[in-house]
Amino acid sequence: MRLKTMTAGLALATAFGVGAALAADDTLDIVFINDGHVAPYHVAWLTGFEDAIAAYDKAFADVKVTGRWLSAEGSLEKMIQQTEVTINEKPDVMFVNAINVDAFEPLVAKAQAEGITWIAVHSPMESADYSFTLGDVVNGTNQGMAMCALSKGEPFQVGVMLGQAGNPSGEARREGILKGIATCDNVEVVAEQPADWDTVKAQTIAENWFTQYPDLDAISGVTDGYMYPSIAIATNSGKTDIQFYGYDGDIPIIQQMENGQVMADILLSGTREGWNFVQMAYRIHKGETPDKVYDFFTPLVLTEANHKIALEHGFPEDVQVYYVPEALEVAAKGYLEFGPDSVK
Amino acid sequence: MTSTASLGNGTKKKSLDGLMLRYLVLIGLIVIASVGFSMANDNFYSLVNIGILLRSIAVLFLVSMGMTFIILTGGIDLSIGSNVAFSGAVGVITLTTTGSATLGFITALLAGMFIGSINGFFIGRLKLSAFMVSLATYALARGLALVLFDANSINVDNITFLWLGGVSWGNMPVVIPFVALVFVVLSIVLYKTPFGRDVYAAGANVNTAFVLGRRPERTLVWVYVLSGALAGLSAIITVGRVSSGQPWAGLYLEFDAITAVILGGTSLFGGRGRLLGTILGVLLYGIIINGLVLTGTNPYLQSLIKGLILLGVVLLDTLTQRGKTA
Repeated sequence: MRLKTMTAGLALATAFGVGAALAADDTLDIVFINDGHVAPYHVAWLTGFEDAIAAYDKAFADVKVTGRWLSAEGSLEKMIQQTEVTINEKPDVMFVNAINVDAFEPLVAKAQAEGITWIAVHSPMESADYSFTLGDVVNGTNQGMAMCALSKGEPFQVGVMLGQAGNPSGEARREGILKGIATCDNVEVVAEQPADWDTVKAQTIAENWFTQYPDLDAISGVTDGYMYPSIAIATNSGKTDIQFYGYDGDIPIIQQMENGQVMADILLSGTREGWNFVQMAYRIHKGETPDKVYDFFTPLVLTEANHKIALEHGFPEDVQVYYVPEALEVAAKGYLEFGPDSVK
Repeated sequence: MTSTASLGNGTKKKSLDGLMLRYLVLIGLIVIASVGFSMANDNFYSLVNIGILLRSIAVLFLVSMGMTFIILTGGIDLSIGSNVAFSGAVGVITLTTTGSATLGFITALLAGMFIGSINGFFIGRLKLSAFMVSLATYALARGLALVLFDANSINVDNITFLWLGGVSWGNMPVVIPFVALVFVVLSIVLYKTPFGRDVYAAGANVNTAFVLGRRPERTLVWVYVLSGALAGLSAIITVGRVSSGQPWAGLYLEFDAITAVILGGTSLFGGRGRLLGTILGVLLYGIIINGLVLTGTNPYLQSLIKGLILLGVVLLDTLTQRGKTA
């Protein structure tokens, strides 16, 4: 009896196995190679990416969707090595957030020769099959213009925390922010300092600025990672009137808009972006051809009240704005826009 | 006092026994890691992957050999990674300005030696803390690289300059025989020359070395210059590998080098260790990194695994040392 049960069980398991194998005769292997893995944004990225891989794999029985997420821990050499190893593995799609795009040019051709679709993340590459970009200059300009409007024409001092020197995405964000600020005369940039995407460095910079510039009205940053320590220092030192202008759409930062400390943010959202990566790879795998330069939709986030004030002070009406509740929902639920349902 | 080279036969044998045990453990770990990763991924033993693995650790081999000399003297060099970026900047700018690959090579080497000589002067002659001095040159060299590069990369298309870091014979990167040659030369220097004996003597007991007329301050200067020269060589290889000069090249390289040297059994207190251990340490480190990438291990787990391995080896080292002194 026991033997019969075991045989039946084995047969059933084999049938399921064969069934599953037949069902998933097509595979989509996605590899994401990132420059780091410790910033809050990276954590959200990875979460969205992994959740999306699981969701797509579950939703589409005809495609076995798998994915890996690698971190170069800030090292160019490690990233090159990871890329070389990955090319040898021949995945279907590679997303590469290159520390410096020039260093990866020779590898793009190698990957393409192996039939791999190379998607350059954030910093566009002419040689890549696709470039996934964020419209950093436009986003930065929107942040700068929001600051202009919300400063209401009063004399206003701001310190701008930058990314790593030479990083294209960071440079583009800086360019945009300064361009936006330049649309008004009352806002003065009293300091610009690179914090290398590092929250600890951001903390030191914020401490120095609060000492050096007692009349500082605001801190603008090219990433929300800088906002966490800056807000904490401002709060602890009783500087509750300092305004913060963020960039990334981290949920805890958007949540702080309601109490008036954070005035504006750019809704990238790591989670949301992670989901979009998988959607993009799936679409390409199914034969769709996205734009060679794929601009991710990244609206400005304001409170409804601040949007009203901003409009009264010359903020352009055609700039699309998400209010806090909507932004929080979208930031938390990447599957709303980019889940399997969006491509069914 | 556990110098392998300068002390009596009994001590030498005992010390070598300890190191031999370490090497056997390292070889065992290399075999276990290789077999494990090959079971997890068929590609691990592919010639292409072995070529990638060797190429990826070539620079680490070179700087770790320089770091071994320094740690043998009881010192440390935190500026190696920044020095690779700075030397690369000088070499690439010379190359693009003059069009001469030879001048590019020479200036890259000299730039590396320049940073090394600053370290050596302050540490050897002025007897300042190696940690503090090299921490300062770590920032100095990176800053110089960023200024020289204007924070941007510079593309290089000179075939001669790119040859060492970029060319392979089949799946064998050209750089590997070159690294092997450097290993042989440095082994001769360390084990067969008075300078090598001075390195061990300076690390075993700097005061005794001084009393014995070994001039340890001069030895210290030269080990840092040597480390700088190896950073310069590494810069040339790095430029060849990525076909460009990069201001952020070599980031955190010093920590990988220190890890590899410690894995290889060189005592952080100086006077004890061999280049062979460093080579095994680099190989083990490289295999682990390569295998973790191949198996798609979560990056957070990767940090944990690397930390645990290092902790395990340090613990083993401590237990071995206690066993010897008991």
